[in-house]
Amino acid sequence: MKVFWKNANLRLKFGLIMMGLFIVLGFIVPLFPHVNPIIYNTFAKNLKPTAVNWLGTTALGQDIFWLLVESLRNSIMIGLIVAVIGTTVGVFVGLLSGFLGGFADRALMVLTDTFVVIPSLPILILMTSLMKGQASIIVLALTLGLFAWAWPARQVRAMALSLKERDFIQTAWFSGEGAIQTVFTEILPFVWTWALSNFMNAVLVAIASESSLAVLGLSPANLPTLGNMIQWSRERNAILLRQWNWIGPPVVLTIILFISLFLLITGYNEYQTMKRGR
Amino acid sequence: MKAWKYIGLRLLTWALVIWIGVTFVFFIPRAFPSDPVETMISRMASMSGSMEATQVEALRRQLRVQFGLEGSLWEQYTTYLRDGLFGFNFGPSLMNYPTPVGEIIGRFLPYTLFLSVTAVIIAWTLGNIIGLLAGFRKNKRSSKILEGIAITIYPIPYFIVALVLQIVFGFILGWFPMTANILTTADRGAFIASLLRNSILPAISLLLVGTGWWIISMKSLASSVAEEDFVQYARYRGLSERRIGASYVLRNSILSQVTALALSLGGVFNGSLITEIIFNYPGVGKLVQQAILSSDYNMILGTITISIIAISTATLIADLIYPFIDPRIRYS
Amino acid sequence: MRKLVSLLLVLAMMLGVSAAFAAETTIVGTPRNETLIVEMQNPTQTAGQFSPMMQGTNMGTGIQQLLWGNLYEIDTVKGEQFPSLAAEFPKSNEDFTEHTIAIRQGIKWSDGVDFTAKDVHYTMNLMLTNPEAPSHGYYQQIFESIDLVDDYTIKIKTKESFPLLAESIGVLIWGNDLRVVPEHIYSKEENPVMFKNSNPVVTGPYTVKQFDELGNWILYELREDAIYSDVGVVTGKVPKAKYVLFQTFGDDATRTMTMVSNLVDIMVEVSPENWEVMKTNPKAAMWYPEYPYALFDDPCSKGIAFNNAKPPFSDKNFRWALALAMDFKEVSMNIFDGAGRASVLQIPATASMQELYYKPMEEWLENFELEDGYKPFNTNYAREMAEILKAQGIEVPDDDALLDDMFGIGSWKHDPEQATKLLQKAGLELKDGKWYWEGEPFKFTCNILADTEAQAGRGGQAAVDQWVKFGLDVTPVKMTHTAFTNANSLGEFDVGAYWPSCAIIRNLYRQINGWDADLIKPIGERSSGGNGERLNSPALTEKIHELARYSSQDEKSYEISTEILKIFVEELPFIGFHSGTKFVPTNNTYWTNYPTSENPYNGPWWWWSAFKYILPHIEPVQ
Repeated sequence: MKVFWKNANLRLKFGLIMMGLFIVLGFIVPLFPHVNPIIYNTFAKNLKPTAVNWLGTTALGQDIFWLLVESLRNSIMIGLIVAVIGTTVGVFVGLLSGFLGGFADRALMVLTDTFVVIPSLPILILMTSLMKGQASIIVLALTLGLFAWAWPARQVRAMALSLKERDFIQTAWFSGEGAIQTVFTEILPFVWTWALSNFMNAVLVAIASESSLAVLGLSPANLPTLGNMIQWSRERNAILLRQWNWIGPPVVLTIILFISLFLLITGYNEYQTMKRGR
Repeated sequence: MKAWKYIGLRLLTWALVIWIGVTFVFFIPRAFPSDPVETMISRMASMSGSMEATQVEALRRQLRVQFGLEGSLWEQYTTYLRDGLFGFNFGPSLMNYPTPVGEIIGRFLPYTLFLSVTAVIIAWTLGNIIGLLAGFRKNKRSSKILEGIAITIYPIPYFIVALVLQIVFGFILGWFPMTANILTTADRGAFIASLLRNSILPAISLLLVGTGWWIISMKSLASSVAEEDFVQYARYRGLSERRIGASYVLRNSILSQVTALALSLGGVFNGSLITEIIFNYPGVGKLVQQAILSSDYNMILGTITISIIAISTATLIADLIYPFIDPRIRYS
Repeated sequence: MRKLVSLLLVLAMMLGVSAAFAAETTIVGTPRNETLIVEMQNPTQTAGQFSPMMQGTNMGTGIQQLLWGNLYEIDTVKGEQFPSLAAEFPKSNEDFTEHTIAIRQGIKWSDGVDFTAKDVHYTMNLMLTNPEAPSHGYYQQIFESIDLVDDYTIKIKTKESFPLLAESIGVLIWGNDLRVVPEHIYSKEENPVMFKNSNPVVTGPYTVKQFDELGNWILYELREDAIYSDVGVVTGKVPKAKYVLFQTFGDDATRTMTMVSNLVDIMVEVSPENWEVMKTNPKAAMWYPEYPYALFDDPCSKGIAFNNAKPPFSDKNFRWALALAMDFKEVSMNIFDGAGRASVLQIPATASMQELYYKPMEEWLENFELEDGYKPFNTNYAREMAEILKAQGIEVPDDDALLDDMFGIGSWKHDPEQATKLLQKAGLELKDGKWYWEGEPFKFTCNILADTEAQAGRGGQAAVDQWVKFGLDVTPVKMTHTAFTNANSLGEFDVGAYWPSCAIIRNLYRQINGWDADLIKPIGERSSGGNGERLNSPALTEKIHELARYSSQDEKSYEISTEILKIFVEELPFIGFHSGTKFVPTNNTYWTNYPTSENPYNGPWWWWSAFKYILPHIEPVQ
């Protein structure tokens, strides 16, 4: 552990610390007793930040800090579930398709391409109208995940096709290593870098997709998320009213979340390269 | 021979994907608990307060016949396949009955294509150049700064980027119109001038958020390619960095970027809803959105069928030109 | 680098110059001070289609306001119709089966041809006989025949007794399908219902000058002979604006900035948050010059409707409990910061309804008792609201009458104790602070419209918040408009936030007949027209049937309408919050004398067909 920290580069360290902070803020802080931020009129409305309400209150008298904390947790959950589904299913299907070839490849590609070509937002709008607000974080995440795997699968397949022709793979292949073993020892490390940046992007895209559902007013009404908070501020004209404490926190948090993830992942990749180099 | 077989099979996949896709889009809206006739009635009723029951019943019967919802689902489906998929005749838009869907889409699609294709291509080119530089020469200060800017702008929610542009350049400075009003009836010169004036802010907003991802993905691709043996080997051979960057790193990392570009270009046919909403820019995005919200089956099918065909064709083309870009791939 | 910067500066200056230039002319090049710019609610997808006889024409884009005329128009201030293209109200025989309508003389079509009864006769028969024409099914059901008597008289035979003819073929709310088209033009068309009519000949004061193929704007020009238009002949006045430009502006933030920049004169409806910003422009105005700014006369009140067929919502004790469980003042603050006129009756407390029904019924409301003798009406609501607002530094009048006008004559009380009692009476059980129904934990959902109507949507959210605080397990469900209506029509919902509660004239029949119990369909089957709420009240049904027999001029219709409102209070199938509260901003930079609280010659209903009667009042600023 100590060695790891010593060898870790600045990006990785910073990314780790920031992600740690996010986990604490999103998952540990909510364990402290607090007001329920969904309930209206717990405080006076439109308060500026004070010692009690660290980020002030909304026009409905909700505490923004606690709203933000709960939103952060829900958004991280949605983002992670979607990214995990999208990336693992995508990599799996892509590799399978790329290396199996033949009929299996074609069948998988038809399935993948179908999900690639069907525009997701319209289908999402339809799905949410079916969920009738019973949607929990999990259901919402699974729905978003349904469309998150196809594109990665296609890219991984393209990579697999390209890798397949390379000498070291061919060598491994013919030297009697099994297909699965080849994939794990030779291909996955190569796809790994790409998969990580896809993962990072998938988290953000999931958060953004949830926001666009919120913009259309279709994110579950009583589920605080960063998207819902941003949409609420938009609806209440926060920018032109200069209510920075409404719109600022969710936007800034989204940006920092992404940057931290980015640093974590690029830092990790550099760390891996360096380790390999030694 | 092998190549021809590959192309033949790829074309078959293409046709299959389109067929499954549109079938999906045909049945899904019909399986959901909303109905264009009821939407129309409730729209009329909510405009005029309320309607008498007799009036509603009469209207309901009239609309069901007009909207072509009387036949069985199978009949509707085969009609759609025959006229819509093969003839590009999707029937009347239900919410704008009896104006044909094709006429409405035809009016808006050129603007969507103009704005989004330009934005996608510029963003792709710019993003890949920056990403390549940042990935290939990652220790240069300028690379880091460019990357930093991209990483910071990319996660900002799009509507905020658009709104800030609109506030600064439209409202405060007054350089550009806040809301797009293209002079469609004016003569050619005035039309083009107004088209450009009205498209600049939306285009910049699309570029700002669009470029980020290309930078990030190109950078990660380029940096992993840059570490490969053949790049090292090229260095040993004493090739110039510029040469290595252009012919080794770029060529080897552009492949998946080309597929992604194809997909983005195909996706253009979906319109860009938020841009259209914020800048009031004419486009297909709002058509799709409104069609879904009001269960305008024909309009949903019209817009999405076009988009499905566009995306699958774009990816088809990308697949077919792979071997030309990446010499390591053969048709297989 | 420096070169690039200077190039950019030059470019910016050029564009800046053209922007400054643009302020003197509109986007279409007409002089700004001769053009009244009116917001178009949505871009039209059927640009160039101006015919009212072709379906899909987007009437609210100025087409019904400026071009076409109706036989009867609505005076929203008095809550009465008046003859517009007709000369007087229909003369009917004893049993209301034959009706004679005199048509107004002196009106000319915009091509100079005289407007006569032939045009009315042609239009109504087109609607009656052509299956693709608007309201065709309805006309088939009602009319036996429509005959031409002479150049200025038509005679209508209805299949059954039909006392409400003017109310059915004239405008009540927003518009009416019978927009008379010129016989001399339409009769030459091979298929008049597919005729787009891109350059229409009209009876209204304006004609189409130019339109955007993309549907973002339409430019209308005043007729030179506007004195012969319907408005000209009826009022003797003509509009002052040479051009009226209907234009869309996009989303709320853009609309706000447009109003601040004086790029629009009249807007349809904004949220109070947008108005906060708009009012930084001293030229921007609203119905009231100060708080509450908004106007309360939109003819449908927003609130909560129950699915009255589904237990326990079918029990009126339950419905009353839910009303008393809410702190209405908090609800009001959460919707539009307290702005809104409380509407406890089934009809909105608009200015006219306030005088016609609310004030006359005030005493009855005060004395109204639930079955156990509890009096639920709070007459102090207006004064209590004033206290809350004063505490927030908002100036409100002290005068009782003014306060009643501002906040309404009263609301239902907030009484959790009584609410608990009523819930228990309805069969619910309270165990450890949680409610149970038939042994199961009691949960329900509240449907809320996602994509339209801020007032109704916020009201729904606020109601859920109140019930949760009271201790009920309620989930708000946001739905698209179409999913919402569908759930309502099939009766597959618990409660929903919307507006089955309109009224515009004294006779309430047209708006209330949907509550007829005979129309109720079982849950899961589509309801025919009204009564998605499925209230089964024999007393109410009987009164509705009785009301159907009287014309609006008959005093009896007023008496029965009052009785009906009382039954609604007892049953409470809908908890009314406020009458339709609208923030409709205007801009006094180029034009002035819009209707306001100080000069209420009309309501600010730019999107209704009666806008043509507001136009002559709007004056240029010199």
